[in-house]
Amino acid sequence: MDEFQEILQDFLVESFELVEKLDEDLVELESNPEDLELLNGIFRVAHTVKGASSFLNMDVLTHLTHHMENILNKARHGELIITPDVMDVILESIDLMKQLLETIRDTSSDAGVDVSECVARLDKIDGGDGNVETPVVEAPAEPVQEEAPVEETPAEDEPDYENMSDEDVEAEIARLLEQRQAEDRAKREAKIAAGESVPEAPPSPDEVSEEKKDEKPSAPPPPPPPPPKPSKREKPKAKIEDESKAAPAKKAPVVEQTIRVDVKRLDHLMNLIGELVLAKNRLIKINDDVEERYEGEEFLEELNQVVSIVSLVTTDLQIAVMKTRMLPVGKVFNKFPRMIRDLTRELHKKIELEISGEDTELDKSIVEEIGDPLVHIIRNSCDHGVEDPETRIAAGKEETGTIKLKAYNEGNQIVIQIDDDGKGLDVEMLKDKCLDKGLITEKEADQMSDKEAFALIFRPGFSTAAQVTNVSGRGVGMDVVKTNIEKLNGIIDIDSELGIGTSIKLKIPLTLAIIQALLVGVQEEAYAIPLASVMETVRISTDEIYTVEGRSVMRLRDEVLSLVHIGDIFEVERIIDGGEHAYVVVLGLGAQKLGLIVDTLVGQEEIVIKSLGEYLKGIEGIAGATIRGDGGVTLIVDVVALMDMAKNVKSSVNQSAANSSDGVIKEKTQASDYTVMIVDDSKTDRTIMRKSLEPLGITLVEASDGQEALNTLKQSEHNFDAMLIDIEMPRMDGYTLATEIKKYNRYKTLPLIAVTSRTSKSDRMRGVESGMVEYITKPYSADYLSSVVQRNVNFKSEFLS
Amino acid sequence: MSDKLKDVINKQNEQQNQDESLTQLDDVVQLVGFIIGDEEYAVPILSIQEIIKPFTWTRVPQVPGYVKGVFNMRGAVIPLIDLRLKFGLTEQKHTDETRFIVMKHGDEVAGFVIDRLTMALRIKKANIGPAPDTINADDSLIDGVGKEKDRIITILKPDRLLQRDF
Repeated sequence: MDEFQEILQDFLVESFELVEKLDEDLVELESNPEDLELLNGIFRVAHTVKGASSFLNMDVLTHLTHHMENILNKARHGELIITPDVMDVILESIDLMKQLLETIRDTSSDAGVDVSECVARLDKIDGGDGNVETPVVEAPAEPVQEEAPVEETPAEDEPDYENMSDEDVEAEIARLLEQRQAEDRAKREAKIAAGESVPEAPPSPDEVSEEKKDEKPSAPPPPPPPPPKPSKREKPKAKIEDESKAAPAKKAPVVEQTIRVDVKRLDHLMNLIGELVLAKNRLIKINDDVEERYEGEEFLEELNQVVSIVSLVTTDLQIAVMKTRMLPVGKVFNKFPRMIRDLTRELHKKIELEISGEDTELDKSIVEEIGDPLVHIIRNSCDHGVEDPETRIAAGKEETGTIKLKAYNEGNQIVIQIDDDGKGLDVEMLKDKCLDKGLITEKEADQMSDKEAFALIFRPGFSTAAQVTNVSGRGVGMDVVKTNIEKLNGIIDIDSELGIGTSIKLKIPLTLAIIQALLVGVQEEAYAIPLASVMETVRISTDEIYTVEGRSVMRLRDEVLSLVHIGDIFEVERIIDGGEHAYVVVLGLGAQKLGLIVDTLVGQEEIVIKSLGEYLKGIEGIAGATIRGDGGVTLIVDVVALMDMAKNVKSSVNQSAANSSDGVIKEKTQASDYTVMIVDDSKTDRTIMRKSLEPLGITLVEASDGQEALNTLKQSEHNFDAMLIDIEMPRMDGYTLATEIKKYNRYKTLPLIAVTSRTSKSDRMRGVESGMVEYITKPYSADYLSSVVQRNVNFKSEFLS
Repeated sequence: MSDKLKDVINKQNEQQNQDESLTQLDDVVQLVGFIIGDEEYAVPILSIQEIIKPFTWTRVPQVPGYVKGVFNMRGAVIPLIDLRLKFGLTEQKHTDETRFIVMKHGDEVAGFVIDRLTMALRIKKANIGPAPDTINADDSLIDGVGKEKDRIITILKPDRLLQRDF
């Protein structure tokens, strides 16, 4: 019961949104009747409303929208020109549609609005004979008739609805409604008088409509095949009566379920919380530092308390906001069993639906977006996929077809898979159909792979159905699927085998989430790998890396694991790392495994996934970015793509290292190819050094302190052959500079020459420790300096003039 | 002394008059001028979200060289594009005058590295000529060429700058 209400609520909210948009579009269409895109859009609205209403058994609405759809379809194919007269009728039908939706909102059923006149006019345009069956006449199902009286309150006499004219029915409905409302009001007042808690708003001028709204969520659905007969109206009413008596308090929370918040607001909230998490991380770090420095101080206790409260609340807050956004996919799946049942009846097929993974949680925005595509895919599977029982038996299959609907996480993606065991997709047939409709050229058809041919079903206007039915055949449904999934940056993957079945996978990326990630370093860059894909990390010696057919592999217990260096994938400039050890992050994805070699393991951290924006979206191997505690940006690795990319990395791990170091050493053809940097804070000292070296004709670059020298190195406009470094300098001294330089693999072998007035042995020792190769004490002779530099840069004697 | 004063007052009046005449005319474009290489360029002032001093960015793989990477602007991850490289010049070390201009068009935001800012400009529409004929108008980054006294300023299209072209 509640399930139905939930679906109904969703339907209403969605339909109102669609209709609102429709108004705008139609107005635009009138001034722009040739706009096919616009027509397609309007047509899709009618199609979607029809689809949803038909399975909610809103027959009047279905009836109306079906006829609207017919006309719009003609217009779409250019068989009908939208004249103002035609537009009048379309607008009228949309007004009626709105009226119907409002009626449904207030009463949970769509009876009471006469559409026959409008439908007749629609049909006239459509070229029909104007002889329209109104749903009231249609009303077929006898069972309800038998059921209905049982549930009606005995107090009501039952007029003969069958023989009433429309007007009479209308009047009767109004009368019954009045009566019911009066009763409700009386009951409620009685309750208030009795001191019972009543969740509804206090009596007000709006009371009647207020009550109606309150009743709506608990109103039960009509029975499965109910005709849009007036008698049905009493049934929900009668039940409301019972429920409102039994559990009046239950209503209020049900109403609140449907609060809709703009996703942008939630996004913003989530961003703010992301910032808060980052600030919290920093606060904790500062707290640790303070603790170390002021050990035993009294205020520490208090600070500790505050920090832990802040971090606790932040974590709770984060979880709370995450939860507001996450919904189990079951919310969408729930409506399908019913849909399948109705479809099987309509199509005279036997189909069973198996659902699994309905607990998989999805971001709310995604849950909302995948509803429509899934409806279309499943309808498609029922109509075109699964065969008639007779055909199935003839083909040696079980009489009952199966559609499997499952959801699961795969790396950074959520996969929703729809499998059927029907007839599968016939590639040739698909191509022929498309050729017939002029959607593709013959040349295209010839060159098409099977996968590409499968994707043809998503073309607008494509349909394999010979006849337009209530279920499908207009060639619009799968177009909706593609548009919606692409909006989510998702991928559709179709696999099909003729006679065996079809499998459609919707791969949808996580658009927004906070995840656990392993941070790894490569040279001076860092990358975040989603922890969900990390199986383990191992430290191996470089001897353990073998090369098999030009690829690096290692033995991990009894398996052979192929290896790839993260630097090769992300084009990191890599100079041979003298280290004897390597860190391997073992990534697992389904059955696939890959060893990713990284330079350092930084640690595990909670990260907020942020998109790279439109400009940089879709970069292979990068799923997004995150902002770290220090304010820097770290890229998040897309493990799925990385596995693919690893296959194309040709060079083995060791080879590529050798190649890139070769590139750095260039052949020197003249004296000015040698470049030496002079780092000294004293202008005089720099000039002295320059004067000493200028006769060699080499290129000299000056820097006034360590920081500047480091920046110059980073900018790497030059390939330096040596550096002359003073020790005493502001901002960054020579030792620190040398240590920093040695951190870069690229400069591991760069000769660093200390030029200083410090002469003590301990100073020399520090120099050696920090990586200096020579130690020149001031004062020095110009010749001596020149000879030391020549020696260290391997200066070719032929350049000496 | 009084002559000088008069001069100053006259100049001020002139300036004001000019300003007034400019503000009175609706067809004045407000731009922000900047230098890349040897040339002066400008973008509409309203397309600029902010102008900031350079700070660290993160390299992004598999993009053309002129996309330096991404940087963090108060919690948003924004691409950084070096206009020197984009315009085919060589990369240059950042100086004290280097700035990031953060431009916005619709939902698209990106930072652009420029050599230095010049000034905010008000140019009459009448003084803006079309882009040279040799350039295909649709593909071009150039919206027009503004003439201001003896300067020639190339006006760029922010929407094209923010459009991914790789």
